[in-house]
Amino acid sequence: MRKLFYCLILLAACFTLAACENHFIGMLNPKGWIANEERKLFFDTLALMLIVVLPVIIMSFTFVYHYQVSHRIKEYKPNWAHSYFLETLWWGIPCIIIVVLAILTWKKTYELDPYRKIAGLQQPLLIQVIALPFKWLFIYPEQNIATVNYLVIPVGQTVEYWITADNVPMSAFFIPQLGSQIYAMAGMRTRLHLLANQEGDYDGLDTQYNGGGFSDMHFPVHVVSPEKMQQWIKQTKMSTHALTDAAYTSLLIPTINNAPQFFAGVANNLFDNVIMTYMNALGTIHPRQQQGIVVQSR
Amino acid sequence: MLQKLFFGNLTLDSIPWHSAIIMGAGAFMLLSVLAIVAAITVYKKWSYIWHEWICSVDHKKIGIMYLMLSGIMILRGFSDAILMRSQQAIAAGTHLGYLPPHHYDQIFSAHGVIMIFFVAMPMMFALLNMAIPLQIGARDVAYPYLNSVSFWLTFVGAMLCNASLVIGDFANTGWLAYPPLSGIYYNPGPGVDYYIWSLQISGVGTLLAGINFIATIIKMRCPGMTLMRMPIFVWSALCAMILVVLAFPVLTVTLALLFLDRMFDMHFFTEFAGGNIMMYINLIWVWGHPEVYILILPAFGIFSEVVATFSQKRLFGYTTMVWAIAIITFLSFVVWLHHFFTMGAGADVNAFFGVTTMIIAIPTGVKVFNWLFTMYQGRIILSTPMLWVTAFFTTFAIGGMTGVMMAVPPIDFQVHNSLFLVAHFHNVIIGGVLFGYFAGIIYWFPKAFGFKLDEKIGTWAFIFWVTGFYFAFMPLYVLGLNGFMRRVNHYSNITYQPYFIVAAFGTALILIGILLMILQLIVSIKNREALRDKTGDPWNGRTLEWSVSSPAPLYNFAEIPTVNSLDPYWAFKQAHLAEGRVHPRDMHYHDIHMPKNTPAGFIIAMFFGLLGFALVWHMWIPGIIGFIGMMTAMIARTFNTDTDYYVNAELVKRTELAHVREMI
Repeated sequence: MRKLFYCLILLAACFTLAACENHFIGMLNPKGWIANEERKLFFDTLALMLIVVLPVIIMSFTFVYHYQVSHRIKEYKPNWAHSYFLETLWWGIPCIIIVVLAILTWKKTYELDPYRKIAGLQQPLLIQVIALPFKWLFIYPEQNIATVNYLVIPVGQTVEYWITADNVPMSAFFIPQLGSQIYAMAGMRTRLHLLANQEGDYDGLDTQYNGGGFSDMHFPVHVVSPEKMQQWIKQTKMSTHALTDAAYTSLLIPTINNAPQFFAGVANNLFDNVIMTYMNALGTIHPRQQQGIVVQSR
Repeated sequence: MLQKLFFGNLTLDSIPWHSAIIMGAGAFMLLSVLAIVAAITVYKKWSYIWHEWICSVDHKKIGIMYLMLSGIMILRGFSDAILMRSQQAIAAGTHLGYLPPHHYDQIFSAHGVIMIFFVAMPMMFALLNMAIPLQIGARDVAYPYLNSVSFWLTFVGAMLCNASLVIGDFANTGWLAYPPLSGIYYNPGPGVDYYIWSLQISGVGTLLAGINFIATIIKMRCPGMTLMRMPIFVWSALCAMILVVLAFPVLTVTLALLFLDRMFDMHFFTEFAGGNIMMYINLIWVWGHPEVYILILPAFGIFSEVVATFSQKRLFGYTTMVWAIAIITFLSFVVWLHHFFTMGAGADVNAFFGVTTMIIAIPTGVKVFNWLFTMYQGRIILSTPMLWVTAFFTTFAIGGMTGVMMAVPPIDFQVHNSLFLVAHFHNVIIGGVLFGYFAGIIYWFPKAFGFKLDEKIGTWAFIFWVTGFYFAFMPLYVLGLNGFMRRVNHYSNITYQPYFIVAAFGTALILIGILLMILQLIVSIKNREALRDKTGDPWNGRTLEWSVSSPAPLYNFAEIPTVNSLDPYWAFKQAHLAEGRVHPRDMHYHDIHMPKNTPAGFIIAMFFGLLGFALVWHMWIPGIIGFIGMMTAMIARTFNTDTDYYVNAELVKRTELAHVREMI
């Protein structure tokens, strides 16, 4: 009876998986090279693990069912508690599986290291990402433009993200359908390389809980053709707003569901200065508090 | 000024009068306490409660008190779970649900803290106290008074955490309180201080209990019980306690540094002036990862005992079991970094910690196969403890599998912090730890209380728990793969909602399971005469605890047994089967040396609790009173030389003969 029940659950799960592949916005529906590799690795690992896990589940049910007292099975060896053959078998087989998995892990961890450049002909596009109180700032230093809560990237070109945080606790930058996530920490720079291989609109988000506005820290990611990308850059450059130091300071005030903002012109070395604000700050008071910026509302 | 010295930051505004949910919960807690106090007064039981329980140093009674604490706290932890599941089932699209982030964030933090520190840990110590001294043939733990101190410190920590519900806030930081979120800049209120002090106080209790049980297991075993003749539960407890002793000081120091940061503006974990938040995250997981093994190892021990007993067969591969536990103990200290692969460490570091994590799967897998082959060609009795074990195999296999998958850094880069992770650790902590503890509680319940729990209601509770578990957590795996994060208060994408409704349904099933467990307890108490265990051996057990009456007499063993094999009581029964007798009656009784009860543990803990509460609110005068009171009580106790007495041989004889009479 219970077995039937488990089978039904398993079947239901398979159907849901199969039926809504296209509704998925996570790693099951990858749109970038890294995410695709991670998805493959996910299923390889799953298959390797099932070699042990499936027999365990099947054996547990058959043994419990078969050897019940009420079934009056004749075989009963109350003192049989040791077998070199069997014990070698179940130390050995998991060892082999883990060795295979460890080699795979070692190789893939290097290959998919977020800091590693993805092989390709083009120079990567650099985007500097700053996690701010419940919004994301994206600076395109070479293009001298910046956006808030709005990311446009070209298809087929590696994008290198430099990531930090300012006036918000540790956050994490993640675009599930493109690839890995990485923490954003004040006073530090983390790096991430992603390569989108299909145009479309995806969801980007913060994955690390960082306070009251955490749930709304999403941003749309638009993956567009290189031509459209150039067009968008041109258009953004016409914005009347510039990301001056003063404009940046106003972004440090906590907001939730901040509408996208576009800036033409970015204060010199803004990203580095933000990091250095923390690296250089001494004394007992938080550097942003010293500047009289409102503390995160609780 | 004086008011400031007395009450610190505490004012009447610290109590959230306007929040109906909190006030309702607070009123309920207050009414429950008042009802209990009234009942004790009406039935004139204060003296009994004080002398027989609060002052008790008897490991059996302390075990029961740990169990009661854990039982009360699971209700609160589970209420938090209901609130979270219903919030997420509602808060889709434009709907923001009924819990604002300010409240919701405290709920998930409290849920984690309570479930780990004040449900799982007390439940583990309950089981250790109930079983370990009896299993090794000892009359009590090595330091009975310290055992009482440990329990009361844990109790006070839990009460401090409960106080935060009504007086002020709890931490809104998640259960590990990562800085800088837990720092004074982002979190100026009392919440994190409540977190720090409830964990510090209960953490000291845990550390002392760890030392106590190591000493007990190493020094107090009965003659003939060599290390390799110890029941597996004792082995698993020994290894878990070694982990406690190695890991908990790290927690204490880490929280102390966080406290210094908050109270005295120091810079251990600040983002600036040389502080390093990554240091905190490393330190907390250097404790945190062993912590989950502290919980699971005793559960492994329970599975070993239960599987062998209910298969009526020797545990398969005892030696490999011991080695597997030892290897897990060692490895649990070299895997902590897998909790933050996404922090930007290089591929070398990530790959190393990924591989060490996977290696743990090998000894764990070995244990599972040993259990399976203990059942193979056995004669399995499907009593409720065995049912939990049966369910455990599947839940733990799934949880272990997803755990190994997350140990692969590139996969973790996708599922880290997602509901996939949440599903994974509930899969191993509910499906592994909790199912194991439930099995253990039902298994040792007759030994602690003298009667069995009702099997029929227990089976129904089991069915609701297990199906509820699958409904509640399997959807979370899908959600996690779908990019849904933990700790989310509301979401705009409504395609997620059906999964959350299924999960909420599962939670409702678990709720029924919990209610059935309460019913089971009530019915069993009512029918205790019919369920009474007169033999002392209700399950046809294998180890020494079943050789004494249920509940065990005050002194445990009238004569310390001598052991010359594994499963000594099973061997004894086999040997005496032919002669048709179970217990030797022609025994020679003598006076038994026992520890005296003392209120010192309770008093020390209460003063420590006052100190903790004072530090949360910066109340200096009560803080000084708490500190001086605690130190005075500790020192005063060291001058007390009247700490032991002898149980009269006549009394021992009478007790033993009464048991024998009851048996026949």
